[in-house]
Amino acid sequence: MTQAMKKIVLLCFTLLMMAKTAMAGELNLSVAASLKEVINELTASYTAKHPGTVFLKNFGPSGTLAGQIENGGPADIIISANTEWVDYLNNKKLVDASSIKTFTYNSLVFVGKTSKKVSSLKDLTKLDKIAIGSPKSVPAGEYAIAAITKAGLASQLTNKLVMAKDVRESLMYAELGEVDGAFVYKTDALQAQKSKLLFTVPQELYPRVVYPMAITIKGAKNDDVKAFHVFLQSDEAKSVLSKYGFALK
Amino acid sequence: MQLTPEDILAIWLSLKIALTATAFALPFGFVTAWLIVFKTFRGKIVLEVLINLPLTLPPVVIGYFLLLLLGKNGWLGQLLNESGFPIIFTWKAAVIASVTVGFPLLVRSIRLGMESIDLQLIEASRTLGASWPDSLLTIILPLSLRGIIAGSSLMFARSLGEFGATIIVAGNIPGKTQTIPLAIYDYASSPSSGKMALTLCMISVIISVAVLLLHEVLGKQLDRRSFL
Repeated sequence: MTQAMKKIVLLCFTLLMMAKTAMAGELNLSVAASLKEVINELTASYTAKHPGTVFLKNFGPSGTLAGQIENGGPADIIISANTEWVDYLNNKKLVDASSIKTFTYNSLVFVGKTSKKVSSLKDLTKLDKIAIGSPKSVPAGEYAIAAITKAGLASQLTNKLVMAKDVRESLMYAELGEVDGAFVYKTDALQAQKSKLLFTVPQELYPRVVYPMAITIKGAKNDDVKAFHVFLQSDEAKSVLSKYGFALK
Repeated sequence: MQLTPEDILAIWLSLKIALTATAFALPFGFVTAWLIVFKTFRGKIVLEVLINLPLTLPPVVIGYFLLLLLGKNGWLGQLLNESGFPIIFTWKAAVIASVTVGFPLLVRSIRLGMESIDLQLIEASRTLGASWPDSLLTIILPLSLRGIIAGSSLMFARSLGEFGATIIVAGNIPGKTQTIPLAIYDYASSPSSGKMALTLCMISVIISVAVLLLHEVLGKQLDRRSFL
């Protein structure tokens, strides 16, 4: 080995060691995309009080997050947009069962900027195109399909549905006017600039939108993780959640 | 291996979109490559940059631009909507996305083929009385065939893999605009359908290998012909 190569190897090794020590106060969060603003605000306020803690946040569709954890992705806490994926991880013994708590609730609404009068699910038959999240991978889309089916409108609406890759993409289509309206969460509707909330989907038509959170087996050994898990259940967290339109009960 | 009817539609749709995109882009690609290789004109560098732009831009950017251009409020979209030819959220939007993303690859390969043509051959044909369309069709076209085949297979393969631009302009509608990559994305987003995702991944590999093999075989045949 030449002298130069030795130096490079040594340098790489030192960098690796440095990376290892820097990881001490690091918390890896895997969070459903719809909670992005809330979690950003909560982690910022937590870091202000605990300067040693650094957050690495991974936002994405809940199913993808669960898949990443199953395949060994680094996560200490997962907050999912439905119970399905936390249950899935629990069945595989990848999360600490005693740490599973409900973080918050959300509800399904319909937004759009159509000039037609739309005030209930039945009025959707008047529209041409309706955006929903792809039901196979997006929980909001699954809830929308459940509501449409229970209202007996499935056969009339199927051809009007445009499947988007997530809730935010459905909202974008509605904002641009490419679709007459979109099924999104109430919290997304509050972010809309051009489209308005046309109606709230009656709760009896679809399962409750619950956001469960859990500490992973890997995170359970870390006291910092437990402290943040407690912080997520505090009054401060609750007030941030209601500020963004999430329901606490 | 188990495929749902929707998966089969996705495979069929992917092939249809990639084939249409390649066939549609081919004549334009040939003319563009010819312009760049054999012609000098003002603004040539602008043309080159414009053609290669989709190669360097993130596909999501292209998808978003296309959505704005072809959408209800875009000038082209308005025109098309009025003439009863809506594009957004149809398989045609996926074709346009594929054409935009694959076009630079097509032009690049044809260009390489044309650049290797001995200029004296073209000049000889002209001095022997061939008009330029004549020498284009009888000298340039056959001699750049290798580049055309390489470019077409590259573009076909790129179209099969198109994801970023397609999921924005065409959406992810099973049976209508859901191609293989979009279906895989759907499956991969829920860990419980990992097997379905893998099945489609395998099919993706099989199609890609078939395209590459076909490309090699065609290239070999062309070589043999030119030796005779």
